Amino acid sequence: MLQYETIFITDPGLQEEEIDALLKSYEQVTGAASGKVLKVEKWGKRRLAYPIGRHEEGIYVLMVLECPPESVKEIDRRYRMNDRILRHLTVRVEHEAQLGPSPMIRPRPAEREEIPGEAAFTP
Amino acid sequence: MRRGDTGRGRDRGGKKQFKKKFLFRKKKFCKFCDEKIAFIDYKDLRLLQAFTPERAKIFPRRISGTCSKHQRKLMQAIKRARTLALIPFTSD
Repeated sequence: MLQYETIFITDPGLQEEEIDALLKSYEQVTGAASGKVLKVEKWGKRRLAYPIGRHEEGIYVLMVLECPPESVKEIDRRYRMNDRILRHLTVRVEHEAQLGPSPMIRPRPAEREEIPGEAAFTP
Repeated sequence: MRRGDTGRGRDRGGKKQFKKKFLFRKKKFCKFCDEKIAFIDYKDLRLLQAFTPERAKIFPRRISGTCSKHQRKLMQAIKRARTLALIPFTSD
């Protein structure tokens, strides 16, 4: 079984319960194929970098799954069917860092202040 | 000489002036190789923003000094972050 990381952005008007219901349905899809959900992260409401449809904001939810490819296909299909999901992205987990808390919710340790690339500004 | 040229291997004869000018330029290096970052996360906005200055374009390799391997990974990460509206495609 493969590991996948999937993110979806929903309509900002969606209630917490509705999101939980979505999560539950995706969990069932993976469960039906004897896969499992390794991680769920709710990033909450975020401002979008550019408007999608008429929305300026979106609710971000991230999941890490371990399931056969068919389940991913099914979840993807459900994403597309649901018009309250503005965007979605599913990628294979290629590094163990993806299994831990993501940089979005992880408080940044002080030593990460001097981030690689920042110095790359000075040509 | 074009803007952004490193001056390395670009002089085709006669322009010794330029060579002299760039003699003491600090050598560029790949930030990712230096810090041994194997995986570039598309969720790491601070990192990606450092490589998408001002107009949110991808910082070119010839200026940042990133090696081709890491530039490719960085490009992939930036494009993923763009689809998710985490970083803009462009700004003004």
